[in-house]
Amino acid sequence: MTAVHQFHPVLAPADAMSNHVFALRKRIRGWGYDSYAYAVEAKAGVADVRSYRRLFRDVKPDDMLVIHFSMGHEVIDQLVKIQARRVLVYHNITPPEFFSGINPHAAAHARLGLRQLARIAPAFELGIGVSEFNRRTLAEAGYEETTRVPILIDWSHFATPPDDAVLARWQGFRSVLLFVGRISPNKRQDDLVRMLAYYRRCIDPEAHLVLVGAFRDQPQYHARVVALIERLGLGGAVHFAGSVDGAALLAYYRAAKCFVSLSEHEGFGVPLLEAMRFRLPVVAYDAAAVGETVGSAGVLLHERDLAEAAEAAAIVSEAGDVRERLVEAGERRVKDFDPDKVAERTRQVLGL
Amino acid sequence: MSDKLKVDLDAVMAQVRERIREKREKGIYGPDVEALLRVPLPGGRRIFADDLQDPLGSLAEALDAEVEYDPRSRKPLVGPLITFARRVTIGLVKWWMGAILERQERVNHLLAAAYDYEGQMAPRFGARLEKLERDLKEWREHLTASNLHSVYFQARFGGDDAVIRRQSEAFLDLFKGRKRVLDLGSGKGIFLQLLKENGIGAYGVDLDPRMVAQCKEKGLEAHEVDALTHLRQVEAGSVDGLYARHLAEHILPGELVEILRACRRALAPGSPLVFVTPNPKTLTVGAYTFWLDPQHLRPIPPELFKFYLEVEGFTDVKVRTFEPSEKRLNESVPEGPIRDNVKLLNETLFGDRDYAVVGRAPS
Repeated sequence: MTAVHQFHPVLAPADAMSNHVFALRKRIRGWGYDSYAYAVEAKAGVADVRSYRRLFRDVKPDDMLVIHFSMGHEVIDQLVKIQARRVLVYHNITPPEFFSGINPHAAAHARLGLRQLARIAPAFELGIGVSEFNRRTLAEAGYEETTRVPILIDWSHFATPPDDAVLARWQGFRSVLLFVGRISPNKRQDDLVRMLAYYRRCIDPEAHLVLVGAFRDQPQYHARVVALIERLGLGGAVHFAGSVDGAALLAYYRAAKCFVSLSEHEGFGVPLLEAMRFRLPVVAYDAAAVGETVGSAGVLLHERDLAEAAEAAAIVSEAGDVRERLVEAGERRVKDFDPDKVAERTRQVLGL
Repeated sequence: MSDKLKVDLDAVMAQVRERIREKREKGIYGPDVEALLRVPLPGGRRIFADDLQDPLGSLAEALDAEVEYDPRSRKPLVGPLITFARRVTIGLVKWWMGAILERQERVNHLLAAAYDYEGQMAPRFGARLEKLERDLKEWREHLTASNLHSVYFQARFGGDDAVIRRQSEAFLDLFKGRKRVLDLGSGKGIFLQLLKENGIGAYGVDLDPRMVAQCKEKGLEAHEVDALTHLRQVEAGSVDGLYARHLAEHILPGELVEILRACRRALAPGSPLVFVTPNPKTLTVGAYTFWLDPQHLRPIPPELFKFYLEVEGFTDVKVRTFEPSEKRLNESVPEGPIRDNVKLLNETLFGDRDYAVVGRAPS
C-alpha cells in the first residue's frame, strides 16, 4: 500500500467534518503515505482538494480509500466500485423525522442517505463510527466489521486571540447561555428558546441566549424559531450569531456562562468538547451520542424537562465549587480526545 | 479519577429539583410559566420527533392533514424560472402522483381500520387510553378506600397518642446524638416531638397536609411530600437516622424496595434506620386487626422484612417485637403437654402485635 485517500462530497472551511479530513490527511502523510482529499464540491477557502473524478485513476488496487459519510450522494455508488481497500467513516445522518413537516427536502435527502448507507455496506472492509452511537448505527445498517474512533479535532484554528468585539458585547452579563450548532430541528433551538423563557421568568430577567451556527441550511425552521421568540416576548434576548470564525467562536466560549445543549440528535457533538476546552461548564440533554461525548464532565439531563435544564444551567453558571469542578472535569475530558491519541487509534484500526 | 475531583452530579440534580420545588411553592414557577414552556413552534406542524412521543394522538391529525407544497422559489433572478419549472412538472406528474396517492390512501385507511375497535377509528385510541388511566386511578382509590371520611375513621380506629409515644420511646437510644433524623410518614409528629425533647435534630415528611400543618403548629419541621420523592431529592448522606412507623404496610413490595434503596443513598454511613409495622406472625394481627385499616395493602412477615434490608446492603439487621396482645390463654395449668400446647397457642395467636426491623446504613 502506498496511498491512503479520503473522500467527502463537500469540503468546506470551518466545518468539523472537513477539519477532520484535513487533519487526518496531515497525519497520514506524516506516516509516510501519499494522501489527498477528494470532493465533488470544494467550497471557497479550502486548498489542495482534488476532484472526485481523479479517484478513478489515482487509486490503485492495494491503496486505501476512506469515504466519509454524512450525507447520501450518487457519486458514492460509483466510488464503491473502485478496486481498493475501502473504509467508511460514519459522521451520522440526522434522522428524517426531524425534518418531516418542516423541510421536506432535507427529510427526503436524509431518507435517501440512510438507504444508501445500508446499500453500500458490503463494499467496505471496515466501518468506523466517530461515536459508539454511530458505530451501532453502522452495525444495524449491515456493516460486518465496525469500530469506534472519535473525531480528530483540529484545535489550531482556535490558536488566535478571541475576537474583541464579541468579548466587549457579551462580557459582564450575569447569565449568557450558549449553544453552538447549525440551526436545525434536531438540535432543538426551539426548546432552548422556551427554556430561556423560564430562565428569564424564574431565575434572571436579564438572561441572554446566544445561538452560534449557520441558519441558511434550515431557513424554514429558523423562521419558525424566530416566530417563537416573538410569541414568547423574547425579542432582544436571543442572539443568532450565524456561522463565525475561530476568533469569534473562542470569544463566545469565553464570554458565556454556560453551554446548554438540548439537541436530540448528535453524531458526536464537537462543540461540547470545545466548550469544555475553553473552560465553559456544560449542561446537556442526554440523547444520541451526547452522553458518551460528555461523559461525567457535564450535567447530563436524562429527563426532557426545560425547568430542570434552566436551573441546572443557573447552578453551573454561579461561581463556586460545582462550577470549578465541572470546568476541571471538562478539561480532563478533552484530554480523552487528544488528537495524538485519536490519530494513533486511527492508525491502528486502519492497519497503517 | 479520585473522589475528590469528581463532580457529584446527583447532588447537583437534587439541588436543581429543590430549587424548582421552592419556586413552585412560592408561585414563581406557576401555570403561566408552564404555559410558556408548552407554546408550540408557530408557523406550521409540530416537529415530527415530538409527534412520535404521542403517536396515537398524532396519527389522528396526520390522517386528516393536507399535503402542503409551495412551488415558489425565493432565489434571486432564477427564482421565477424555477417556480415555473416546478409548476409545469407538477402539472405533468399530477395523474401519476394521483395514482400513488390513491394507493397510499388505501394503505392509510387499512391501517386505521386495523386499529378499529367496536366501530371506533384509531383516533379514539387516545380516548381509550385516557379511560384506562382514569380506571387505574379509580382502582387505586378503591383499593385503599381513599373516598372514606378519614376524620371519622381516625376517630374510631386511630391509635392512642400516649400508646404511640410509649412505643416510640423504646427507639430513642438508637438515635441519641443524631443531628438530622428523618421520620417518614411523621403523622401528628409524636416521634418528632419526642426526639426534640431529647435534643435530637429531626424532621418529618407526610402526604397528608393536615398532619403537616399539625406538626408545624407544634414547631416541628415537616414537609408535605411523598417518602420516595423526598428521599431521592435529598443530598446523598445528608440524613443520619431514619424512622418509619406504620408506613411499609401501606405500600406495595416493589415500592418498599425502592424506598430502601433511596434510604441507602440518603443515609450517612452507619446511620440507624427503623421500620415499625404490624406483626403478622401473630395470627390475630395477620388475619384480623391488620385489616381494620382499609389502607393497608399487605402484611409483611418479619423474616421477609429483615431479608429486604439485608439484601439492600444494610448491616446489623435485627427484628424486635413489642406490644403484647391483651388477651391470652391461661397458662396456669399443670406442667406437661397441655401447658406446652397452651404456650404455643399463645405465641401463635396472641404474640406481640408490632415489630420493628432495625438496621444500619453500610459504612
